[in-house]
Amino acid sequence: MATINLSPLRTSPSLCSRSSRSPQNAPKLSLYSHPRPSLTFPSISLKSNSTAKPRALTITFAHKNLSETELVSVPPEAEDVAGKLPSYAGVYAVYDQNEELQFIGISRDIAASVTLHRKSVPELCCSVKVGVVDDPERTALTQAWKSWMEEHIKATGKVPPGNETGNTTWVRQPPKKKADLRLTPGRHVELTVPMEELIDKLVKESKVVAFIKGSRSAPLCGFSQKVVGILESEGVNYETVDVLDEEYNYGLRETLKKYSNWPTFPQIFVNGELVGGCDILTSMYEKGELASLFKK
Amino acid sequence: MGVTKEQVESSLKAKMNPSHLEVIDTSGGCGASFAIEIVSEQFEGKRLLERHRLVNAALEEEMKEIHALSIKKALTPEQWKQQQEPEKSNPTS
Repeated sequence: MATINLSPLRTSPSLCSRSSRSPQNAPKLSLYSHPRPSLTFPSISLKSNSTAKPRALTITFAHKNLSETELVSVPPEAEDVAGKLPSYAGVYAVYDQNEELQFIGISRDIAASVTLHRKSVPELCCSVKVGVVDDPERTALTQAWKSWMEEHIKATGKVPPGNETGNTTWVRQPPKKKADLRLTPGRHVELTVPMEELIDKLVKESKVVAFIKGSRSAPLCGFSQKVVGILESEGVNYETVDVLDEEYNYGLRETLKKYSNWPTFPQIFVNGELVGGCDILTSMYEKGELASLFKK
Repeated sequence: MGVTKEQVESSLKAKMNPSHLEVIDTSGGCGASFAIEIVSEQFEGKRLLERHRLVNAALEEEMKEIHALSIKKALTPEQWKQQQEPEKSNPTS
């Protein structure tokens, strides 16, 4: 497949299209009436369609064939993605560093979705092709997705790995749904290892651990809530342990206070070291020091 | 019974020798929750974590009764001066 890695300064096709909406008599799109988009011919019809909305012109340029769409490299920094990719609804195809197609998805906000992919699987999300679909209907989006999928399958005989059944790499999983960790199998099971060792093992084996009151999806104290909010907004992969869980973390509070020599909760550990409580995390967050801390 | 603002203040004054100290009772009266701003020379050359540890240690007895201690500021006199100055010089600049 002929894909070109654009230099970072070039804009994506869909961005160009936004500035070229003006011509009134340009060919109209009948993408969605096209029963089976063919591979050799763009999935856009050049036949004039008087009932189409004037704005459909955007789609004419934006949503091209997969093979005709230019490949745009994804900036490594999340804040740069929005400047390079459109924050509009549409279809997008993600490529890895070998320019192998990994996944075709649809989104209400392409830039935001690609940012999330980039964060969760940076090694698989090196460049993208995007096609803005200027029709908010889900059926329109699905149709655009289908046409790209069909085109790719026809060309390669394969479904993109990320679109295979059972592959959840690209599905956005609500991070808060992640389960809180339990330190013990239950309070009535005798521990073979002291609680202190369990804590030590956990904080040293996980990059970021937050010991909070309540679960990560429903923290039970304002400080824990704030900590979860900060960690979420940093987009860092972190573990949580509910220190109020008397069944599975029985005795944790007292042991942890001694272990960390820190009297209150929440407590946040990074790379096995106590960073501090809510105040310290908040202060570091406000100073922008967290990103470098999590990178270590 | 909880801890009073005065108890927290006197413990911190005795152990930290602060040049500035502000203790706010945020518990609404039960004495279980405080917010603190403290400036002390003892913080010199120490990370935020170590500074908080000093405060926590100074309040070891009180912490048994306190549920929430929020250390808003733990600064050295030098840092405190720097923080105060921009506020003062703003109107003139």
